[in-house]
Amino acid sequence: MGRILRVDLNSGSMKDENLPEEPMLRKFIGGQALATYILLRELPLDAKPYGPENKVVMMTGPITGTGFTPGGTKVTAVYLSPLTNHTLGRGAASGFWAVYLKAAGYDGIIVEGAAPKPTYLYINEGRAELRDASSAWGKGATETEDRLRAEVGIKDAKVMCIGPAGENLVHAAMLCNDYNHNAAHSGGAVFGSKKLKAIVVHGTARPPLYDRARLIEAGLRWRKTLMVRHEAEKRTAGHAVDLGAAPNFNFRSTVIEESHIEGFDKNRVTLRPCFQCQRLCPWDVELKSGNHSGTVGHFNAGSEWLDTFYNLGVRGNDALYLAQRINDLGIECSHFSCGVGVAFEAWEKGLLNAEKTGGLKFEWGNVEVIDRLLDMAARREGYWGNLLAEGPVEVAEAIGGDAPKWVVHTKKGTPALHDWRPHFGQMIREIVASGGMKPQGGGSVNPPPDLKYREKWGPLDRNDPAGWSWSNALSEQYRQFCGLIGGCWFAQMHMKPDGLNSMIDSFNATTGWNFDIDQALEAGHRSAMLQSIFGTQRGWIAEHDWKDVGARFLEPVPDGKHKGFTIAKWLPELVYEYHRLMGRHEKTGRPFMDTLKKLGLEEFQEWAQLD
Amino acid sequence: MNEKYGNLIPTGRLLDGKPRTILFDAIKCIGCRQCVHACKDWNDHPRTTVFEISSSNWITMEPPVLEGLSPLWARNSCMHCEYPMCAAVCPVEAITKYEEGPVVIDPNVCIGCEYCIYACPWGVISKDDLTHKASKCTMCSDRMSEDKSPFCVQACPVGALDFGLQEEVSAKARTRAQEVGGYVYGDKEAGGARVLYVLKEQKESYGVRNIGPQKYPKHKISLPLMLKDLFTLRCGLQGKVRALYLAIIHPRRLLYRYWPWRQVV
Repeated sequence: MGRILRVDLNSGSMKDENLPEEPMLRKFIGGQALATYILLRELPLDAKPYGPENKVVMMTGPITGTGFTPGGTKVTAVYLSPLTNHTLGRGAASGFWAVYLKAAGYDGIIVEGAAPKPTYLYINEGRAELRDASSAWGKGATETEDRLRAEVGIKDAKVMCIGPAGENLVHAAMLCNDYNHNAAHSGGAVFGSKKLKAIVVHGTARPPLYDRARLIEAGLRWRKTLMVRHEAEKRTAGHAVDLGAAPNFNFRSTVIEESHIEGFDKNRVTLRPCFQCQRLCPWDVELKSGNHSGTVGHFNAGSEWLDTFYNLGVRGNDALYLAQRINDLGIECSHFSCGVGVAFEAWEKGLLNAEKTGGLKFEWGNVEVIDRLLDMAARREGYWGNLLAEGPVEVAEAIGGDAPKWVVHTKKGTPALHDWRPHFGQMIREIVASGGMKPQGGGSVNPPPDLKYREKWGPLDRNDPAGWSWSNALSEQYRQFCGLIGGCWFAQMHMKPDGLNSMIDSFNATTGWNFDIDQALEAGHRSAMLQSIFGTQRGWIAEHDWKDVGARFLEPVPDGKHKGFTIAKWLPELVYEYHRLMGRHEKTGRPFMDTLKKLGLEEFQEWAQLD
Repeated sequence: MNEKYGNLIPTGRLLDGKPRTILFDAIKCIGCRQCVHACKDWNDHPRTTVFEISSSNWITMEPPVLEGLSPLWARNSCMHCEYPMCAAVCPVEAITKYEEGPVVIDPNVCIGCEYCIYACPWGVISKDDLTHKASKCTMCSDRMSEDKSPFCVQACPVGALDFGLQEEVSAKARTRAQEVGGYVYGDKEAGGARVLYVLKEQKESYGVRNIGPQKYPKHKISLPLMLKDLFTLRCGLQGKVRALYLAIIHPRRLLYRYWPWRQVV
């Protein structure tokens, strides 16, 4: 450990590099910040997402794989996003893979160049080699995992791979690992452009701990804050229930009905938690009814893959069947759903007919057609396959007419597929995020209990924009920090007393550094700043945040208990305020010099807002 | 303890002398293997394979397939027998039965003769490749002496593992077995163990062993293995002297090693 593996796929050469020295590590810690810093230093400004010059930098954090904390499972990958061509792409995976990457002796990997033929990287006990991946090329993620594990002959080996979508450069292809886990937002497409099918890791090393007893104590405190999930939850419509809205028929209805969960009660559900995390997010299902009875699905929490197919009119076990298919093919579900949603709406409104769709009936809930479109998209097969692989904005433009008004997207990336529209904090989070990545933040109505000593506000009002931008900015900082230390923010219980402090104490016990909560938030702020500097360097400006958004995403909620709500009436002020609060210029999004100095990022001053 | 064991096996006390038991509820278990990793974490074992019992992996969850991919799961680890044959056959008294339950191997005393490995009815003792000492679950005797539960038990995210005073846990096991229409495993096997399972299906479907109720069940130490150490340098001269000395002062113990057709009282 303490090493990063640099892999040059052009020449097939590999070399070990040390992690930065302690002063720099204290600044960037690990995860997204350290990875983005490396990318900012190394990636040429004229790099193309699919060019061999693009790099994928993957970093774990100090608490990844200690085993003594919940959520210590994260690895974050960053790269130039092929969805937007100009912002930071980021995907983060949990499960077991990152733990075994560390056990194999590495804290991170830098992948550069492109291999001449399908290849996989195999790291076993500190020894890395590139191997021929032709036996797995073209295979789905689950089968690839099984094949490569069998090929290396180690049952404990963990596989992160791409499905056919990544191979065929579907812009939003995912990295898939440990059956249930996906690092979405284009990492799979960049892997595909490099002909890198998978990274297989195995090892037996343990991460270094500064104070084991203190870590155990802090980890137990952290565990006490967890809201543990239950099997019963997996038989519901998922996060849509919490949000009080499900996307239906391309975001034109939000009502959740009995039919959404038809058959769920009879399915066999098994919780399948990540490494040493008691939150119990991931789960497996065996369908016990419907046309695809017997299908086994592997899912994580979040349930956006469920909303993905609700949005296309699919209900019950058919939605679970299709969700397993899309995960196996390795397409980010929202990218597919927002694209097909527009096409189906166009069919309904008469803009498309069988002649234009190659005989396929683009009807809501048509499982066979959606199943076929999944294959076509993952392999860029035919006109529609290719278009869906490009993205929803391209689909709408190709259809023409009013279709561009029906798209849900942010900077051509798509939000994790839920109907976020009724929720203030989440909507700000979605639109101010770097396009093509999962946004972080979301805010809350009240400040986290651990921050109440300095945050004197709340409860926030849904009908008043005051305070929401800061709530989001603040939560972005602690969520970023959670990722930097190698933690999963599904295990971060910021709304519980000791939720943040126990996490920071776990980090301190692991590293021996004594961060207080303010320093932790500052580290998160620094990470968010590096992310925006990456965009600034390549042409992103803050105004894109509210101008480059699909119109449907800003429409008032059409029905249900949040009917009529929209944050659109408070734009662009909310976005301006957010950027000001983060220390950036409200229109350009460039950081002010003061902000760079405060965060110790003076080396990026050429990208600062000077006036 | 003296009445029960005489000088047959070394005994000791960790805390208050009250017997304790681990309960494994197969109906609740989801096969996530958090107990397996927790065991490695507490004992600072390397992340070696979780699919086989070894000196750095004291628990396996059977069957040996990926986490969660089987409908039935069973724990496989030391059962901390009430009448531990491993301790009875140890020629150097390296294995102690504690009043609170744990059966613990002292690696400083162990000479690596492997007798315990072949004596264990559950096959859960292994030999360390580097130190050549026998190794197995300690029921977290170090934690127990501080009145804490075993680390695997506290790690279980679904409450499939429980721990407490023997009477309470036994009663819980019986109630739970009744509730689910199952049965208790481990209360009679080999004269009773300090790890109880609540199972519902046939033992075979969980892959757990059929062990008779006999205390100190017959061992499977082969004759060549028993004789080998008389003639080889293995176990060291010191080890041989210690074994010989203990054989002289506790001659009754030889019965368990060399008299397989013995009738245990």
